[in-house]
Amino acid sequence: MARLLARSPITPPPPLVVAEGWEVSGRRSGAALRLSDCTPLAKLLVRGDEQGRFRARFGIGVGAARLLSPDLLVIGWGPGEWTLLGPPGAEERLASVAALDRDDGGGEFLSATEVTHGHALMRLAGTAAAALLAKICAIDLGDDVTPNGAAFRSSVAKLVTEVVRHDRDGEPAYWLQCDRAFGQYLFDAVLDAGAEFGIEVDGFRPPWI
Amino acid sequence: MTSAGTPPTIPARMTRRLAPQAGELIDRDRQIVFSWDGDRYPAYQGDTIISALAACGQRVFSRSFKYHRPRGLLTANFNDPGCLVQVDGEPNVRAAHRRVEPGMHVRSQNVWPSLQHDLGAVNQAISRLLPAGFYYKTFMAPRALWPVYQRVFRRFAPGGRVPRGAAEGYYDKRYAHPDVLVAGGGPAGMAAAAAAATAGARVLLVEEEYELGGHLRWGDAAQLARLAELRTAVAAAPSIEVLANAAVIGRYDDNWVAVAQRDLPHARERLIKARASVLVVAPGLIERPYVFAGNDKPGVMLSTAVRRLINLYAVRPGERAVVLTANAEGDRAIADLERAGVQLAAVVDARQGEDVVAARGGGLLREVELAGGRVVEADLLVTAVGWTAPTALLNMAGVRPAYDPRAGRFFPRDLPDDLLAAGGIAGDGTLDQIVDHARAVGREAARRARARGGRSAPPNPLPALPIDTALSLFRSSTHGIVDYSEDVSSKDVVGAVREGFDSIELAKRFTTATMGPAQGKLELVNTVAVHAEATGRDIAGTGTTTWRPPYAPVSLGALAGRSFQPVAYSSLQPWHARQGAKPLVAGQWIRPDHYGDPAAEVRNVRENVGIIDVTPLGKFELQGPDVARLLNYLYVNKWMKLAVGSVRYGVMCGRDGVVLDDGVTGRLADDRYIMTTTSSGPETVWRWIENVLQTEHPQWRIHVTPRTSALASINVAGPKARTLLQRLVEGIDLDPEAFPYMRVRSGAVAGIPGCFMWRIGFTGELSYEIHAPAAYGLQLWETLLATGADLGVAPFGIEAQRIMRLEKGHFIVGQDTDGLTQAYAAGVGALVKLDKEDFVGKPELVWAAQRGDQQILVGLQPADGSIVPDEGCQLVEGERAIVGRITSSRLSPTLGRSICLGFVEPRLAAAGTMVEVRLVDGRRLPVRVMEHHAHYDPEGLRLRV
Repeated sequence: MARLLARSPITPPPPLVVAEGWEVSGRRSGAALRLSDCTPLAKLLVRGDEQGRFRARFGIGVGAARLLSPDLLVIGWGPGEWTLLGPPGAEERLASVAALDRDDGGGEFLSATEVTHGHALMRLAGTAAAALLAKICAIDLGDDVTPNGAAFRSSVAKLVTEVVRHDRDGEPAYWLQCDRAFGQYLFDAVLDAGAEFGIEVDGFRPPWI
Repeated sequence: MTSAGTPPTIPARMTRRLAPQAGELIDRDRQIVFSWDGDRYPAYQGDTIISALAACGQRVFSRSFKYHRPRGLLTANFNDPGCLVQVDGEPNVRAAHRRVEPGMHVRSQNVWPSLQHDLGAVNQAISRLLPAGFYYKTFMAPRALWPVYQRVFRRFAPGGRVPRGAAEGYYDKRYAHPDVLVAGGGPAGMAAAAAAATAGARVLLVEEEYELGGHLRWGDAAQLARLAELRTAVAAAPSIEVLANAAVIGRYDDNWVAVAQRDLPHARERLIKARASVLVVAPGLIERPYVFAGNDKPGVMLSTAVRRLINLYAVRPGERAVVLTANAEGDRAIADLERAGVQLAAVVDARQGEDVVAARGGGLLREVELAGGRVVEADLLVTAVGWTAPTALLNMAGVRPAYDPRAGRFFPRDLPDDLLAAGGIAGDGTLDQIVDHARAVGREAARRARARGGRSAPPNPLPALPIDTALSLFRSSTHGIVDYSEDVSSKDVVGAVREGFDSIELAKRFTTATMGPAQGKLELVNTVAVHAEATGRDIAGTGTTTWRPPYAPVSLGALAGRSFQPVAYSSLQPWHARQGAKPLVAGQWIRPDHYGDPAAEVRNVRENVGIIDVTPLGKFELQGPDVARLLNYLYVNKWMKLAVGSVRYGVMCGRDGVVLDDGVTGRLADDRYIMTTTSSGPETVWRWIENVLQTEHPQWRIHVTPRTSALASINVAGPKARTLLQRLVEGIDLDPEAFPYMRVRSGAVAGIPGCFMWRIGFTGELSYEIHAPAAYGLQLWETLLATGADLGVAPFGIEAQRIMRLEKGHFIVGQDTDGLTQAYAAGVGALVKLDKEDFVGKPELVWAAQRGDQQILVGLQPADGSIVPDEGCQLVEGERAIVGRITSSRLSPTLGRSICLGFVEPRLAAAGTMVEVRLVDGRRLPVRVMEHHAHYDPEGLRLRV
C-alpha cells in the first residue's frame, strides 16, 4: 500500500510539502494579513450538559475559548458543546484530555467525536483581520464585544462558520471553521474580501495553535 | 508632470482658471487630459469633471429631462441636477462631484444628435401640449398601441446608457457597529465626532464630499484655520473612522444605517450596513434655488456654487454678474466674485425689497430683468435667498420636523433617544456656537451609546442654538422651474392645484416634482411654497412630502453587494474535474453527472465494476443509549431490534404522513449508529431530529453529529466488486456468508484505518458503500481505480446511477414523490408498521390506510419501447381526465427500452393495466402498469450474491 497522504479540502498553493502526513502548502508569507489552511489540526467534539462536568473541566462555557496547554485550545461554540484543537495527529491526546468516566452515576450523558476530517479550519491573522471579517460577517468584532478568547457561530460569507478570536503575540487572529465540503469556498471568499488589505496565503507550519 | 499625454493647450485653454486660492483642492503640478464629447480637455488633479470644463469656458453640460433645455452649473456639487454625464461605460455620473481622471471619456447624455444641437428641444415649442401629468390623460387608447407607445417613450427616457458588454464592476459590502454614527462631516459633524470619541465612543463619520469641512472649505482665512483645527481633532482620535465620498442613504429600525461609499480603489461602490447605537444627523444646510422666469438658464447659479468654483477649484464662474442676495452667504459671494475679477453689473438686495424677475438669453444667460423693469446684461446671475434643511434621515426615523416661518425652513422636534441633530439643521448662530453645540451633542451621543450598553450616566445638557430670522423668498413675481431634474415649473404645480390636487403628496405624484435624481433636496421647499401659495394655505399647514430611502443615489450593484453562494465539494471533486466530468449542480454540491457516456457507465457496472462518489449522501452519527427509540419514532418501520453490524432501510414521514426522506441506517456499536439521508435531505433531517430531541423528547440521551463531508463515500458496484475489494480490505471478511446483504463492517480499506462499509444496492448490483475519513478519500478513489484496472473498474456518475436505480425501481424522494405523497402512495406501505406504539405521521397514515384512495407509484413500460415520455407527462383517460403522471423515465441501456415510474389512480394500479401518456407533442402513448417497481432483477438476486 502507498503511504497514507491526507488532503485538506482547500487546494494548497505551491510549493507543496508533507507535514505530519498531510499535503500542505509550504508557502511563507510575511504579509500584514495572512490566511492559513489549518485543517490538519486535530479536532475533537465533546458534548455534555451545559453546566456539567466538561464545563467544570474546561472552565469555559458557550462563547469562549482558552488554552488548556500551549498547544491545546478548547472552544465553547454552543451550549454543552466544546471543540478541542490540537497539533496534527493528536486525536488520541485530545481524547485523553476529554476522557471522563461516562458512568458517573449522575446521569449526565457525555460523548466525544473525532471531527478532524469533518471540518475545514483556517487561521486569519493580521491587524486588518477584523476589518476583513467585517466585510463578510455581521457580528460586531470590536474589542468590547469580541475580545481575544471570544467564540461564536454565525454566517460568514453566507456560510455557517465557527469563529474564534485567538490573538498571538498581540497580533489579532481568528480561527474560522466550517463544514469540510465548504472549505474551499470559504477560503476563496476570505481571500476575495482580503484583497484590498493585501492578504496573502501563508503555509501550514508550527506553532500549531 | 503630465499624465496620459501632453494636454492640448495647457494652461492657455483654461481661460477661466484663477490664480491659486487659499483653499483650492487642485494640484497644479499634476496636469491631466480627458475628453468631453470627443474633444480633449486639460485639467488639474483634484478638479471635478465640471470644474475642469468650466475652467475651459464650458457652460452647458446637459439638456433637461422633458424640454431639453440647455443646463449648466447650479450647485457645483453632488446635487447639481444639470451635471449628469456618461463616463466611459457608466451612466448618470454626478460630474460636479466626480473627480476627473486621466484618459476619462466623458459624454453628454440624453441628447441627439449633439449637446449643442439637440432635436429634443422641439419639445419647448410644444410645451403647452405637454403640461404636467399629460401622460396620465393621453396615450390611453387604443389599447392595442400600448406597446408602440412604450417603445417611443423608452427612446425619450432620460439618463445614459449602459453599453452592451460593459465590464461588471466590483461592488463591495461591509458591516459596522459604531457607538455613534455622524452623518455629515462639516464643522458640526467633525466637532460632534471628536467629542464623542473623546468621551470613549467608537465613531463612524460619514461625509459626502471627498474631504471633511463642509462650508469651511471655501471660507476665509479664519474659517480655514478653524477647519484645520477641527480636522486635526478628528485625525487625532483613533476611534473615529472617516468615510469620505460616502453618503448615509437610509436610516431604518433600531438605527440600522445604510452608507454608500463610492470610488474605492478596489470597488466602484460599497454598501456599509451600520448598526449605530446613536445616530447624529449633521448634514448642514442646502442652498435653495429661487423661482423666476429663466431660472434654469446656464449662467444662473447659487451663491454656494460660485464660492465652491472660486475657492475650491480656482475657476472664475463668469465675466459679468448680477447677484441677488438675501443673506450673508450672498454677501460673501459678492466678495469672492470681486476678488476673482468678475465685473458686478448689479447687486440686488432682497433685504431692501429688490428682486429679480427674469433671466433671458437664447441658450445661455445674456440679460437679467430686475423688478421695476431694469434690464442688465450679464452672463452670470447668482442667487442667495435661503436654505433647505435636509431632514430626510430624521423623517426616516419617524420624526416630523416643524416649519419655522421666522427662518423659512424646517427644524427637528421630538427626536427619539437614539437620534440627535447638530449643525445648521438644528439651528443658527456663530461658528463657535454651532461647534460648541455639536460637541455637546457628541458627548451626549457617547453617553447614550454607553447607556444602551448598560452603562448609565447623567445626561449632558445640550445648549440651545438661536434661530435667525430670514426672508421667506421662494418665488418671484414670475414663474420658473421648481424641479430642475424633472422639468417641473411653478406653473405646473399651480395647475395641479387647479385640477384638484390640493394635497402636496398628490401634487407631487401628479407633477413628479421632487421625484427626480435630486430627490427633493433642492426643490422640495419651493414646491411646497408654490403649492401653499396656490391653495391659500401656509407652508406649515401644507406640510411636506415624505423622505424615503435612499437619500442619495446608490447603484443596484452596491445593493446587491458581493455574490456569496456557498458551494460544496467532495474530496474527490478535483479528480472529477480533471477527468472532464460534466458537472451537475445538485443543491449546494457540484457533482459529476457523467464522464462522457452514461450508458457505457451503466453497462460497465452491470458487467464489471464501477465506482461512484456518493459523498453528498447525508450522514449523521448518532450516539447514546436511546438512539433506537429515536429511530423507531422517526421512521415508519421498526428499529428496536436492529443488531450491531446490521443496516436497515427506513422511510421518514412528516406529521402529515408525507414522505420526508429515506435512507439506510447502520448500527456500528451498541450505542453508535450511522444514519444516511438523501443527498438533498440532511439539513431537513437534522432540523427534524433536533426538533424531536429538544422539544418532544429532551429526556432521550442522544448526541447527533453531522458527518456528511467528514466521510468520503464511495459505492463500489458490479459483479466484480467483491473481487476488487478483496484486494484492498484489512480485517473484513467479504465472504457472502460473513458479510451478507444489508450488513455493515468496519476496518481498513487501502490501508486507510477507520473505514466502514455496508452492503446495499441502489444500482441493483452487488455493491459495497465505503465510508472513509474524508482527507483520505482521493487516495482511496485512486487506489480503487489502480487496483481494479484489470477488472475493468471505471467511474460512473449521477446519470448512470439514476438510470440504474430506475431499472431497479428505487424511487427518489422529491423526484418520485411530492409534497402530498404519503408513504402508502409511494409504494412502501409494507414498511409502515401501524402496530408500533407511536411514530411521526402515524395518525395520518392510519387514515390513509383506511381510505386507500391515493394515487400509487407503479412501474410503467411504454408499449413502444423506443419512446421515452418526458418526466411530468400526464397519464390520461379519454379526452380530459388526468389519471396520473410520469415521475421518472429513461432509456434503459440494460433492457434496450424505455422504462418509467409514475403515479396512477388505485383502480388502474393492477399489473397489466394499459393507460395512456399524453406526450409533449400531444400524441398518446400506451403504457403498461408493471408488477413491480423494478424493471430489472425484481427478485434482487444480483445484489445478494
